Amino acid sequence: MNQLALLVALPLITAFLLPVINRVSTFAARWTGPLVLVITSAIGISFWPQLGDSAVAIELGGFRPPLGITLYADKMALLFALATSIGTLLLWPSRGEDKLRQSTLALILAGSGSGLALSGDLFNIYVFYELVAVVSYGLIAARSTAGSFAATVRYLIVSSFGAALALTGIALVYQATGTLNLAQLSQLAPTHLNNLQGLAAFVLMLIGFGVKAELFPVNTWVPEVYATAPTRISGLLAGVVSKLALLIIVRLLVLIFHQPEALTVMLVLGILGVVTGELAAWRARDFNRMIAFSSIGQLGIMFIAFSIPGEAGVFAGLAVALHHLVVKPAMFLLAERWQGSLANLAGAARTSPLGAALFILLALSLIGVPPLPGFWAKLLVMINLVAQENSLYMLGAWVIMGGAALEANYLFRVASSFYHRTDEQTPPAAHRPGDLATASLLGAGLVASAFLIMPLADEIEGVASQAADKNHYVQTVNPEQLP
Amino acid sequence: MLDTGLVLYSAAFGLILIGIAGIVLSAHLVRIIFGVALLEAGANLLLLLATWREGASAPIIVAGRVPEFMADPVPQALVLTAIVIGVGILALALSLALRVQRAYGTLDMHEVRQRMEQEIADQAGIDMPASSHAPAAVQAARQEGSA
Repeated sequence: MNQLALLVALPLITAFLLPVINRVSTFAARWTGPLVLVITSAIGISFWPQLGDSAVAIELGGFRPPLGITLYADKMALLFALATSIGTLLLWPSRGEDKLRQSTLALILAGSGSGLALSGDLFNIYVFYELVAVVSYGLIAARSTAGSFAATVRYLIVSSFGAALALTGIALVYQATGTLNLAQLSQLAPTHLNNLQGLAAFVLMLIGFGVKAELFPVNTWVPEVYATAPTRISGLLAGVVSKLALLIIVRLLVLIFHQPEALTVMLVLGILGVVTGELAAWRARDFNRMIAFSSIGQLGIMFIAFSIPGEAGVFAGLAVALHHLVVKPAMFLLAERWQGSLANLAGAARTSPLGAALFILLALSLIGVPPLPGFWAKLLVMINLVAQENSLYMLGAWVIMGGAALEANYLFRVASSFYHRTDEQTPPAAHRPGDLATASLLGAGLVASAFLIMPLADEIEGVASQAADKNHYVQTVNPEQLP
Repeated sequence: MLDTGLVLYSAAFGLILIGIAGIVLSAHLVRIIFGVALLEAGANLLLLLATWREGASAPIIVAGRVPEFMADPVPQALVLTAIVIGVGILALALSLALRVQRAYGTLDMHEVRQRMEQEIADQAGIDMPASSHAPAAVQAARQEGSA
């Protein structure tokens, strides 16, 4: 049971040992990182069937909560911890001059990302969040160009601003309740946090953790960072790290903050995210920034979905998040050779036919064309939005529809240019086999899940109903204190 | 007599507001970074104040005597962690500021942003997206520069 702590500990220990291993053998140092991630992924996968219907709480060091630090693993947390390990493995920073430093940082990212997903304690969430942030600064600046330093420092300022706001929110929560354990907070919230102070704490934490989840007002870093960072790192940030921040916000909503105003704030910010993201993507003229802005729009849809109250919202949001988790990294892998002006992409299908076909598949699923999983995820969101019978939720549904139309327009503008024949300019170079293989793997997963959509939906619904069950969380962590 | 609690809470919120104002209003990178530091200090002070009580003693048992009125040690331990994280990030931010200064020769964030956007646009091989908000003089200067 305690082996789950290895998901956090193993990558962190290896990261700090890596410079030592590198002294002995560079070859060993190069392969240790991926090997450790294979091991942690295997541990996570082998744990999945054991988890069954009941979640698991691990008391680190044997101290009982609320004094001790708790790791809480339900299916949702394990799913995202696994996604962090597997995602870092697939997007391993294999190129660049300083391999050792990048491997070390990527390992810390995997360890602290898993920790973020598994934490059952508000302050640990803050510490892991900062750890993920600091590591991502190092990874973003890996190209060492002037632009990448400027983008990193601007990202650092937004991110530290957000972290300080989140810390202020945590201070407000502690002031009202005197605990940081999520399970205990969940018991105290109805009496202590169901007021203006609780709402203020939620909004501060929403903005604070929303920086990484590309939430509307604090996402200015997205286009610059994704345009200057190595594409694999951009894929990792947009695909995996943004979902981890989203997971934290969902946990806070399910367990602690039940005010209807909290959901409204999130809904409005989500709608603004979709509108601004999709419009900016439509206007973008280079590939990287187009998919960066489109990811702001996609995360806006997730915020809208999670703002639907109850289990339905968690189910719909989780479906969109998992779909995006597969599609966006694949998109960024294709961007490796296609970065730069969209006008230069004419005839790309001649040099990279598989890449062009994959792009069209991913684009179709992002827009939400029927047999693909993206359609079912969006349909689920739309049905639940309309079922709310509330004008603001209806507006959300309309905005998602409008966003899909814009997506169709700008993605197909690019896709059709792949098949233009131009004689005056040379098409971009073919993709590297490694990038193409990983992207194909993700694309194949997408197609496979289109065929398995019913069992998959049942599974995700199980994950969502477990995650949305607040009493289950409290009982798992603190079996003696039944409400 | 001023209430000590009132002074401390005003100081915490004051630091937070000054920090946010510094981040939003300053153009100089080092001032923005100091704004971040002040904001963090304010958040830390607020966290400390969360369980602060006037006249409480440290929760340490000296010679078997348990103090009557103890302060909650948890926020103090947390703030220690938060301060360490803050210092680390401050050092990282300043070192990045140094790299930016070496690369662009300026710490004015408006100019840094302009140069960065230009660099991204050049790398992508597209024109700088001209903002409709830019004053006519700026747009004219840009056109002159590209011509």
